Order: sequence, then structure tokens, then C-alpha cells
Amino acid sequence: MNFRSKQLKEFFLLVWSGTNRSYGQIFFSQKKYFSLILLLVSFIDPYAGIAGFLSALIANMVALLFGYSKENIKSGAYGFNALLVGLGLGVYFELSFALLFLLAISAIFSLLLSVSLEGFLYKYGLPFLTWPFLIVIWLLNVAYVDFTALGLSQRGLYVLNELYDRGGMSFVDMYYQWQALFEGKFWATYFLSLGAIFFQYNVIAGLVISIGLLAYSRIAFSLSIYGFLVAYLFYQMIGSDLSQAGYMYIGFNFILTAIALGGFFVIPSKTSYVWLLWLIPLTVIITISFSRIMAVFNLSVYALPFNLMVPLFLYALKRRGSYRSNLNMVGVQEYSPEKNLYSFVTYAKRFTKINSYIPIQLPFFGQWKVNQAHNGAYTHQGEWQHAWDFVVVETNGREFRGHGHSLSDYLCYNKPVLACADGVVEDIIDGIADNALGEVDLVHNWGNTIIIRHAPGLYSKLSHLKLNSFKVVKGEWVRSGQTIAACGNSGRSPYPHLHFQLQQQPFVGGKTLRYPLAQYYVNRDGVDDWCQFEYPQLNEVVSRPIADSLLVEVFKWVIGTRFKWSAPNRPTELWEVKISPSNQTYLECKKTESKAYYQIIENRLTFLSFVGDKSTLLYQFYLSLQEVPLFFFEGMKVNTPVRPNEIYGGAQLFFQDFLAPFYLILRPQFKWSVKSSDNGFSKTEIRFTSRIESRLGKVMHKSELLINTKGLSNFTYTTKQLTTTYTLQ
Amino acid sequence: MKKHFERPIITRLQTGMPNKIGMKTEYLPMTEIDGVGVKTMLEQYGSPLYVVSEATIRDTYREAYQSFSTRYPKVQFAWSYKTNYMDAVCRVYHSEGSWAEVVSGFEYEKALRNGVDPKYILFNGPDKTEQDLKLAIENESLIHIDHFDEFYSIIRLCEHTTKRPKVAIRVNMDTGIYPQWTRFGFNYENGEAWDALNRIMISGKIDLMGLHAHIGTYIMTANAYRIAGSKLADLAANVKKKFNKTVSYIDFGGGFASKNTLKGAYLPGSDTTPSFDEYADAITSSIINSQIAPEDMPTIVLETGRALVDDAGYIAGTVLANKRQPDASRTLIIDVGVNLLFTSFWYDHKITPAQEFSHHSEQTKIYGPLCMNIDVIREYADLPPLKKGDHFVISRIGAYNMTQWMQFITYRPKIVMIDTKGQTHVIRENENIDIMTQLERVPEHLK
Repeated sequence: MNFRSKQLKEFFLLVWSGTNRSYGQIFFSQKKYFSLILLLVSFIDPYAGIAGFLSALIANMVALLFGYSKENIKSGAYGFNALLVGLGLGVYFELSFALLFLLAISAIFSLLLSVSLEGFLYKYGLPFLTWPFLIVIWLLNVAYVDFTALGLSQRGLYVLNELYDRGGMSFVDMYYQWQALFEGKFWATYFLSLGAIFFQYNVIAGLVISIGLLAYSRIAFSLSIYGFLVAYLFYQMIGSDLSQAGYMYIGFNFILTAIALGGFFVIPSKTSYVWLLWLIPLTVIITISFSRIMAVFNLSVYALPFNLMVPLFLYALKRRGSYRSNLNMVGVQEYSPEKNLYSFVTYAKRFTKINSYIPIQLPFFGQWKVNQAHNGAYTHQGEWQHAWDFVVVETNGREFRGHGHSLSDYLCYNKPVLACADGVVEDIIDGIADNALGEVDLVHNWGNTIIIRHAPGLYSKLSHLKLNSFKVVKGEWVRSGQTIAACGNSGRSPYPHLHFQLQQQPFVGGKTLRYPLAQYYVNRDGVDDWCQFEYPQLNEVVSRPIADSLLVEVFKWVIGTRFKWSAPNRPTELWEVKISPSNQTYLECKKTESKAYYQIIENRLTFLSFVGDKSTLLYQFYLSLQEVPLFFFEGMKVNTPVRPNEIYGGAQLFFQDFLAPFYLILRPQFKWSVKSSDNGFSKTEIRFTSRIESRLGKVMHKSELLINTKGLSNFTYTTKQLTTTYTLQ
Repeated sequence: MKKHFERPIITRLQTGMPNKIGMKTEYLPMTEIDGVGVKTMLEQYGSPLYVVSEATIRDTYREAYQSFSTRYPKVQFAWSYKTNYMDAVCRVYHSEGSWAEVVSGFEYEKALRNGVDPKYILFNGPDKTEQDLKLAIENESLIHIDHFDEFYSIIRLCEHTTKRPKVAIRVNMDTGIYPQWTRFGFNYENGEAWDALNRIMISGKIDLMGLHAHIGTYIMTANAYRIAGSKLADLAANVKKKFNKTVSYIDFGGGFASKNTLKGAYLPGSDTTPSFDEYADAITSSIINSQIAPEDMPTIVLETGRALVDDAGYIAGTVLANKRQPDASRTLIIDVGVNLLFTSFWYDHKITPAQEFSHHSEQTKIYGPLCMNIDVIREYADLPPLKKGDHFVISRIGAYNMTQWMQFITYRPKIVMIDTKGQTHVIRENENIDIMTQLERVPEHLK
């Protein structure tokens, strides 16, 4: 019994959530309060409101009974088309039992269309928008002539009668005052168009919606006005008038198109705003011409222009392949233009490189000096300009010990050479004798060489290797850091050195490829510095970072691991390590179900995003471990941007939101460094600190994490001068 | 410049084929060390005089470190205190990043005084008192267990502390060389080492950190280390397999030969001893090629003493007398005796005159100043004629002489260090009557 009631409760909660969010979905929002506002607005015409609500409710219930994805149902994705159909039916027909039946049929029909279109368009990565609504409402429009049992509503036609019915003369007066206030003006048309989305042809509905829209998203709000203004001006330019009654019902097309293409599916930016100057007039033209075509069938275009324009442009954008421009599509939809923008701008800096480059490491142990870099003075020119030559030097800069008369005096000679990344040995050339010092072998220019395939079109080549020093054979699979040969002096090499290059072809002597090294240390006057995805420069002394075993051990979180944190006078918090069906790892706070997504790639722990309750300790932890390299040296510092909405709020963020497509004023930086550790092979504890600073260096968030051989130990964070320390139990 | 007088010598003229030794001595006098005049130093600090070159220490250390670090990602040196525990010398090594390897309570105290973090002291040797062990446990130093009795002591001491002792075991083994040092640690071949590791892991009270071997001294073949490495790696891999415990480090001890020539050797040491590169290649490849998984690669620890410091030490002195033996052989008496040059028992030390000389040379026997028959520095050396008051420098004496020396018959001299800028610093004063009698007590009735 208990179980059943629990199931029932879950069922109704889901249906309610789906139904409510169906309203917000029309504006691409998942905010509950915005949806509630829209729901209330839809009841300004109560019949339409009821019909719409019932329709959405039916669609969601059926979706749940059919067993569609609960996540999708919850988000309202399967309800909003039914909602629109219901609203339309409620406006056109008198409320009756027959209508209710028709509602149920059309709601289920919209649901089926939604699901099918979703599946069909999925492979193109396109949204199904309000196509299901269009199909259903057109079908009904064509068929309604035969629906003789259903009384056609006259409400939309005789507004004054309606108002008088409900509120007497005062309503009528008010209506006239409002009309006078907005008559023929831009704003009136704008508000009416907004209201028309919910089949509410009045200014008040539009006004309320626009306030809700502002609360939901500053960018969406400004885009709605901007898009509408562009359309308004274009209409004037072509000698038409948008404020004329006929157009009011379709004005929302420009608003929705502007929001979708200016900021929701595309990252809002200067460029996206400029593009709207072309896209919106095009939508206007589509609207006008389709209105004429559809008129033949006595049909309205409804949201057709929007439904044509958005997929058209998105698909065109997608076809660009890997091309990057100022116009970028949203990768992970966060259902808010500003969140999408902030994530994009921040993540572009943080993850573009790690996600787009295969991690290439230096091919040796210890510190080596770059003695010829890209575009070098000797041989790294033309087609071979993006290569490096490395040698080992002693403190005074000499490359040899003793007299330097024999190869073995050279410090790099016979030193192990490593694979720079995982891959397959594509080719090995061996059998070329090491030159005597000063001599060069111009016949076998590259000398003994190995080529490793790391990915299609990415090969690494190491040359001038020692005769008979190969430890691997052709076709063998090698791991990054595996010893594959020894440094030698074969080929065009007057003294021992290691030639290293990346190339696109599997051939010896292939054209070099400019490709950065994932991570390396640079030693400057005995002090290490670190670089990520950069290019070692001439005379730099570089080495390969080695992961710290304690850090690796501590952050090797096994799925199912639980962390219980406690602090004096604070409730304890329990987290669990989980993994989503799409392989995203995250920490989940058991009580609030908040999730902090993280990843560990190439010895880097990064917290990616947070969903849920920001008052949790998990959120503080998430902020504190934005970026943690699993290797470090004394004094190493990490500096990376974080999203402004992560740390700012209120009026500051409100204004930033408006400006965000054009300029970021708020640019918080995350800083990480090791405060103390017991150095050496038996590291037993490391204490590291993190800070989030504003652009001007004001510390917004501060934390300290102590780890030891048992794992996480103490976590301290400071926000607004309040310091709290949690201990892991 | 005043010409240097050299007494005449008579050499039999040999005609025909030149002999294999060659015709004449072709080497230069050693008038200065690191740019500082030998004569000046002897005048300033007295004769004889130990001289330590800081530049050579640093250079040799870096060479050795580089040999390993360009072959293996995790390398740590620990300075072998017994080789030379002059504070100044130790501190040079520590400043280069070396930890400390000690074999007695006294050396342990010294390391602490030199500012070494006790966590980075490796405590070796068969003689660790309960007191020493207690301190090492409290300080979380790394204790290298030598025998089961020591293991029992540590287990006993665990009852009185909250700290978990951090230990390694010393392993002895057959690496194909003679003599096999079996007196230290636990034997590999008969399973004693594996037994010890099992007992440590099963005890549950102590943390196994590493494995240690010190296969011998003056090892002239790098291959012995390769064998040692593979045997130690086997143990480490088995510990991982059986107990899922990663061994953090493998300590290869010392034993690298210096460039000195051993007595009875046919060729000079500088031509026969393996280079750091050869040792490093053998050691690192033995670990890389072992059964140990790449993510469990241990730190390689090296306690090299002799090979690091021998070249940095010199002793300069003065000729006391020339003498001709009844058998007509030449002898030279110098003011450096075996009390100061302990290593002359096993090396043919290189002796270089500190002033100009001609190319004529003579087989000479060199005696120290002690009134003891065994005080012989070289049985035979091919030296140009030296006269009373002439100076000489004996090279490559940095290892063991400043620790194994004896106060015998006379006082021990000063030790100076030449820093990297060419400045000299006294790092140990000469002894005098007060120092020598400081610890003596005379019973009342004899006063």
C-alpha cells in the first residue's frame, strides 16, 4: 500500500512538473516560476486556459503511461505542443463534452508527433519545436467544418461583448483606455504578439509575459524586443505595417526566432545579434508569402515561419564541421541563454584545448634543452618548420662532459627516448650507423627513425636515434612514456640530439604539423614553471611532469564511494560518487540530490558543472576544485576562469546578463596552489588552497583541502568572512 | 723566476725496442686546486692539509643525478654520512637535494643537526640501539631493517607509540660478483627476504616503504646492479601481488667505484671503473623492464658515497726527507701517514708534485711520518726527484679518509673547503693538546 501511494505520488509529481514546464518550454525555459506566470496568463481567457491545461495534462499522463523518458517528461518537452493545441481549441470552440474528447485525441496526437519528430530529428541534432502543434492545428482547421456538434466560439471576434459579460462597463472602458494607450504603437504590437503565443490577444497578457521573460532571462528579453523591432522596422521599410490586426497574431514568430537563433540554440554574441538583422527580415518575407499561400486553404501560418527558419539556420551552422567562428552553437543546453553564454566563454578557455588535442608529452625523462625550436635557425624551416631538437646540458650549458671527443661524452647520447602518447608503431628505420662527431650523413638524412600513429592523421616522428637501440617493433602498441629507443647521432646529425616532430602523414620526412604539447615544465634559473598546450621555445629547459601518486590515489574515486562530512554545529552531508548513463561522473549530495559533475583526463581533475542546491557543502567543494592537476612542484600555480554566474548574483549579475553578449565585466578567476606537502616519495599529506578572485583581485571564495594517505581529510571554505571546516568521517 | 733545483739521477740507458712503460713522465705539477695555490694554502693553514672542493662535489653530484634523471622519472640520492660526515660537506649535498643515509645514532644526530627533515633520513646498519629506533620511529624516519632481532625490537616498540614505523628491509643476494656480502640484511636466494616481508606485512603494525640492497663495494661491473634490480623488483611485484601493497622505493645502496686505482690493478681506475651512465643504465632499465606495473614505479634511491666525493678531496703535504735503502732503492718520507690516509691500504693513490719538475723520474717508495713500520703510502711510485720541503698533492681522497682517520702519534690537521667562488674556509680545525686531552681524566692520586 505504502509502495503504491509512493508510486502514485511520484506519478502525479511528474505529471504536474511536466504540465507546468510545458508552459515555459514555449520560451525555451525550464524555470518553474516563469511557467507558473505563463500558466496564469493563459487563464485570462479561462476557456482557453482550461483547454490548454487539460491538453498538456493528458499528453503528459499518456507519455508517462507509455513509459517515455522521465527526464524529458519532467522538463515539459512532451507537453508544450499539446498545450498549444489545447489553447487553440479552447479559443475556437465552445467548451463541451465533445470538445473534451477532441482535446484528448489531439493531445495524444501531438504527443505522438512530438516523440516521432524528436526521434527523427535527433540524428540531425535539431529540435522539433512546435511542428507537432502546427500539424495538428492545421488538420483540425481543415476538418472543423464538419464538426457540427462543436459550437464555434465567437469570443475572439466580439471582444467587447465578452468584456461586458465578465466585468460590465468598467472592463470595456479599461479596454478602450489600454487600446488608446497602445494603439498602433510599437509596444502595443509587441505585447499583443507576446500574448498571441498563448492565444491571448490582449496587452495585459503580453505585459505579464514580458515581465516573466525578463525574470527568466535578460538576454531572451532583450532579444525579444530586438527581434521584434527589426521586424517592425523592416515592415515599415517595405511599406507594410506590423501593427495591423492581421499581423499581430503572427508577430511572435519574430520574437521566438530572435530568441532561438540569437541566444538559445546559438551562443548569444555580437555576431548572433548582427545575424538577426538578416534572419528576421527573411522570416518576415517567409511569413508574408506563406500567409498568402496558406490563405488559399483558409489556414493561418501560426508559427510556421519560426519553425522553418530555426531548423534551417541551425542545420546550416552544423554543416560547418569543425570550423570555429564567432557564431557558435550551444553544446550542452542549460536552458538559459546567459548560462549557455557564460559556460561557453569560460569553457572555451578551459577545455577547448584539452578536448581538441590528443595529449602529447615530451619524449624523454628528466630535463632537456630545446636547441632548435619551431622555425629554427638550422633545419627547421619550410615544410619541416614545426619540429624540435633536444639535447641534455650540464649546469654550465655544455652538452658534453670530458673532452667531448667521443659520442658517449655527450649527455644525451644513449639516453632513453619515450613514446610521446599512446599509439601504434607505424614505421621503424634502423641500421644506420651513428656518425662520428662533426660528420653528417646526408644520404640518410633522418637517420634511425620511428614513426608512431596516435590517431588518424596524427603521427609523431623521432629521429637521429642510436643504431640498434629500438625496443619495440613495427606494428606494436606503445603506451605514453614507454621507452622505445635511445638518443643517437645518425643521419644529418653532427652531434647527438633528439629530433621530435608531429606530422599528418605516416612517412619519414613528412611535412611537420604545428601541434602543442599537453603539459610540460619549463625550468628557468632553477625554478620550475608549467605550461599547458603550448610550444617549447628555443633554449628552454623542459621536462615531463610525473603524476603525484598520492593525488592520483586520493582522487581515484570509485563509483559508489561515499563521503560523509561533518562540522561542529552543522548538519552532516553525505555524498556518493555516481556515473550517469552517458558516462559522466559526478558527486551527488544524498539529501538534496545536487550533482557536481567532474572528469579526470590526463592527470587533471576538473569540476565541470553543478546542478542543484547551492547552499550545500558539495557546491563549496565544487567551487574549490574547479581545476586540480594531479602533478605539481613546489610553488606551482593554476589559474583558470570560472563562470560569472557561479559566484556573482543579484543586481551585478542582472546587468551583466544584459551586456554579456557584447562584453564581460565580471571575470572571476580560479586559483589553485599547493600550500604544503611532505616532499619525496612517501608523500603522506598535501594541503592545497584555492581562491576565486574578481578581476580586481578581490577574494570571493577561499578554501583549503587537506588530503592524506587515507584520502580526503579536512575541507575548509570561506565565504563572506565566514570560515567553516568540515572533516571527513 | 728562480729555477727549481732538482737533484741529478742516473738512469741506465736502454737501447733497442722501447719498453711498454714508455720513456718519460708526462704530467703537469699540481700547483693549485680550484685556482687556489697549494703552497699558499700550506703556508696559511699548515702542512699537511686536507682540501675539499665544493665545485667538484656539486659537479659530480649533478653528473650522477643527471645520469639517472634522464633515464628514470623518480630518483632520490641520500648522502652516505659514513663516507664523509664533515658538516660542511653534508650540507653541500643536502643543498643539492640529497637526503641523508646514516648507520648509527651519532650519524643520525649529525644529520638532524644539519637540518635534514627526519622523514628524509634513511637509517641503515646492523647497530641501532632501542633508543635510536625509538627516536627514528617517533621522527618517522625510514628504518632499513638488518636482521630479525631488529624487527622484533621494532614490533615491541610499536606498543609504546601511536606512530607506525616506516621501514624497508635490507636484502643480500648473489649478483654474480665476489665477495657476496651476506652479512647484512636478509638473503634473497634462500627465501629469508621474502619471509621478512611476509612477517612485516602480516604484523600490521608497520608500514613497508621500500626495499634496500647494497651489494658490495667498489663494484667494477654495472651488470651486478642489473641483477640486484631485477631481484628487488621481483620482491616488490610479489608484495604487490600478495598484499596489494605498493613499494614506494627501491634503494640500491652504494658501491659505485671511484676513479682510484686499486692495488694490484693492471690498468688505472680512471680507465676501468664504469661511468655513472653505465650504472644508471643498468639500474633504471632493471626496474623499467621488471614485473612492476608502470603506475607503481618506485622511486630509485641511491646512497652512493665514494663515487660522489672521492674526486672532491685532496691532501696536500710536504716532503720530510729523502733516503736511499740498502738495496739502493729510493724512498721518500712525507708528512702524510696512514693515520690520515687510511685508503692507502687499498689504493695506489695518485701523488703529484706541487711545483715544477723535469721529465726525469725514478721509482720511489713513499713512507709516512709515523714511527710505525706499516706507514707506507705507496710501495712504488714513479716520481720526479723531490727534496725536503717540496710540496705534493694526493688526489681522490675525499671518501672515507675524513671519517676513518686516526688520531695516532700526532695531531690531525685542518680541513679547508674551497667554495665555488674560490674562497677557502676552514671546515675543521687542527687538533692541539687541549683538544686531545679534553676528555682525559687523571685520578686524584696521580695529580
